[in-house]
Amino acid sequence: MKIVAVTACPTGIAHTYMAAEQLEKTAKALGHQIKVETQGAMGIENELKESEIRQAEVAIFAVDIEIEKRERFDSLRVVQVPVQEAIKNPISVFKRIQG
Amino acid sequence: MSQEVCNPVEFKFVCPLPNGLHARPASQLAEFAGDFASDLSLTNLRTGVSANLKSTLAIISADIRSGDECSIKVAGADEASAGPALLAYVTRDLPKSDEPLVESGAERRSGPLPRALLAANVRCHFGAGVSPGIGKGTSVVIGGMSLPPELGSERAEDPKREERRIARAMATVRERIKVMLSRSVSPAEAGVLKAHLAIVEDVSLSDKIAELVARGRSAGQALAESAQFFMSILQKSESSYIRDRAVDIQEICHRLLEEIYASKFTAGTLKLNELSIIVAETIAPQQLLGVERKWLQGLVLEYAGRTSHAVILARSLGIPTVVGVKDAPVLLSGERELVVDANRGLVVPNGTAAVRRFYDREYRTLEKRNAALTRSKFRPAITVDGLRMEIAANVSSAEEVAAACANGAEGIGLFRTEMLFIGKDRAPSEEEQFGIYKAAAQAAGQRPVIIRTIDIGGDKPVPHLNLPAESNPFLGYRGMRIYAEHRELFRTQLRAILRASAFGRLQIMAPMVSTIEEVVWLKSQVAQAQDELRNQSIALDPAMPVGIMIEVPSVAFILDQLCAEIDFFSIGTNDLNQYFLAVDRDNAKVAALSSVRHPSFVRFLKHIVDGVHANGKWIGICGEMAGDVRNLPILVGLGLHEISASASQLPALKERISQLSAKTCEELLTRIMACTQAEQVNKLLAEDHSTESSQPLLDSNLVVVGSDSESKEEAIRELIDSLFVAGRTEDPDQLEEVVWAREAAYSTGLGHGFAIPHCRSDLITANSIAVLKLQHPIEWNSLDGKPVRMVVLLAVHESDGNNSHMKVLAKLARKLMNEEFRDYLMKLNDAGSILSYLSQELEIPL
Repeated sequence: MKIVAVTACPTGIAHTYMAAEQLEKTAKALGHQIKVETQGAMGIENELKESEIRQAEVAIFAVDIEIEKRERFDSLRVVQVPVQEAIKNPISVFKRIQG
Repeated sequence: MSQEVCNPVEFKFVCPLPNGLHARPASQLAEFAGDFASDLSLTNLRTGVSANLKSTLAIISADIRSGDECSIKVAGADEASAGPALLAYVTRDLPKSDEPLVESGAERRSGPLPRALLAANVRCHFGAGVSPGIGKGTSVVIGGMSLPPELGSERAEDPKREERRIARAMATVRERIKVMLSRSVSPAEAGVLKAHLAIVEDVSLSDKIAELVARGRSAGQALAESAQFFMSILQKSESSYIRDRAVDIQEICHRLLEEIYASKFTAGTLKLNELSIIVAETIAPQQLLGVERKWLQGLVLEYAGRTSHAVILARSLGIPTVVGVKDAPVLLSGERELVVDANRGLVVPNGTAAVRRFYDREYRTLEKRNAALTRSKFRPAITVDGLRMEIAANVSSAEEVAAACANGAEGIGLFRTEMLFIGKDRAPSEEEQFGIYKAAAQAAGQRPVIIRTIDIGGDKPVPHLNLPAESNPFLGYRGMRIYAEHRELFRTQLRAILRASAFGRLQIMAPMVSTIEEVVWLKSQVAQAQDELRNQSIALDPAMPVGIMIEVPSVAFILDQLCAEIDFFSIGTNDLNQYFLAVDRDNAKVAALSSVRHPSFVRFLKHIVDGVHANGKWIGICGEMAGDVRNLPILVGLGLHEISASASQLPALKERISQLSAKTCEELLTRIMACTQAEQVNKLLAEDHSTESSQPLLDSNLVVVGSDSESKEEAIRELIDSLFVAGRTEDPDQLEEVVWAREAAYSTGLGHGFAIPHCRSDLITANSIAVLKLQHPIEWNSLDGKPVRMVVLLAVHESDGNNSHMKVLAKLARKLMNEEFRDYLMKLNDAGSILSYLSQELEIPL
């Protein structure tokens, strides 16, 4: 499955990147294709292109705060989870996108 | 000021003094009244309290506040002349007899307490820390005026005999004070002695004592009761200045009692025989001096401001002191062990293991921080790229010079001489001043001392000069503008400085210069005084440099002309800023406009420093701007020769300079000058300007293996403390709160035994990773519910542009998701291996 994701936590220096790491690792293990955009203290990194969003089947938001440029995902199915869940139990996050 | 005359011997007036009729104006009024034979009484019409106008104590006791309506009655032989004279005095002289407002400044603490201390769950008592430090010991509660029991029950056989005993004691004590005054003492000491003399000579005090003796009291009982009577009145005053004076009465009465009872009376000397904390309503300076210093660990006082003599003494002796603790003696009388935390303005009962544990750790942290500062204290301040700056101290007395040098001052960049003149009945003599400047020169040794000649005016009144009141004193008659008229005053000071120049490296500096004519005149006066002294064969330093303050913007445009005349410049940023931006900092409506970081002001400073450099002369800075480490990038970038600030700030200034690069600071200065608002400048300055080599993300001081922290509170505090010791934050308590605010969102316990508390805050001066490996696992409310064995604190500067540091932290966060990385890190058991593993994995240099 082609997936796009955004991670963002309150301080933007730790959990944002841990969640991104977990999502990337787990997607690989489960055979999904994923690109994770981080919105942390350094601003937006690994920014999702419009074409990537258009081609994706689902978006995962592992976020605890309002994200920037939310409107890019208006026409895409979004599964939103707390950052902690993506870190603690990434497999369950991917189970939710199947449903 | 308004008054109406009922008849010449009774008139009313309204108290014109902003601080009320307090000790100093009261003593002048009493002195004036003392010249008349008539009975003079003063009535506060607001309260109905009447007072003998010849008694300072009585006048103060009437508690006359600003705006109170009062009446004065005159009755007696010379009433015809006394009435009009007094009326003239209250009309013309009384409004001028006030000294500058002495604010106690004893604000109570505000701000968060460390969580580990809160968790101890003991009742803390809040006050204001007025002499920093932390002390602990057994509490010793001492009362106000109390007599030894045998004197308390003493029977007076003969009132006449008691009267004689008191009269003799008063005469002796009075003479002793006069003798001490006649010796050359420091201005501060002289002030105390004069206040004491006024009390001994006060008629209200002697009347009260006489009244009690007549009623059958012994000399001792009468004295103690009288003291208690006046002290309780003064302590009720709304003015902290007057409350502080209560202690002076206590001290005088102690001396009188000692005089009468000699060895029997020992209340003045307090015997301690273990580490102790003194708790009292107030304490007399003499009592404090009588205590063996090695046992005295701290002071807790209910009444005492920053200006009280006991507090000044405690500061000079380095005794941690908290004042303003309400009902201190009552509240704390049940506590055996106390901690005086004067850094936080706290008094904490030391009865529980948790408090002891917290303060044991706090002690160790402060010791480590002091050791770190001591290391930088005596090192020259050199930037990483080799620019050396002189770091000097601002002082107001000769006594402060030695202390400043002991704190690493490389010179005295500003010796203010106003304090020798303000609040005095007369100007200090040439001999007095010579003694003071000579002491300063000798205490500084080989270090230069810049003495600024008297800087007074409408805003800093000196009664004996009779300067006129002005509607706009800051633009008026002040600084060197008064020298021509008060030539004798200036000449006396010049001669004293020149004579002292033979004993060290003195320099002379004039304040408030705005034209070249003033400088030419200044030089001619110096030359003339030098000639006089030479003719008298008095030694002096013929090459003593002469300089000026840069406070008035006009001088910035005649620097070429000035440089031809004088040797050096020092920028006084407070006045220069206020004249430059046309802003009165005390006017709340415009104060926001005044900022030394305004781009226009920074450009102006650059213009000045470049102009002086172009003419090859020396320039330093001695204003408030210099004392704030956050301004250092500007000051280093400007290329000033010297920074002068108060002595306590010097170690931190030196430490910070050694972390900066002159080249980076110059580039930053260019960016700052291109800003359009002070706010943008603040932002640029708030960024982390340390060079990577001086402040790496991680260093060995930030890794602790085998930590004995037993709770999340202790672990977080220990990490913050390691940042504090390393000079990476100046405010650990506030920073701790920022970390806890993040914990409030959700726990940073990752699971697998790891926790990563973190914060983004400008309280951090250098981005940091700090690591704690715990002896005992602790609860962290982690994702997997398991306790934590390793804590990694990530602390980042809020407005940071340093992306390379942020990338490392992001990388670390990602690595922590990797089991292999975690397992390896968890197995490492010494700081060195943790450090090298992290540096290798994160690809950062050490």
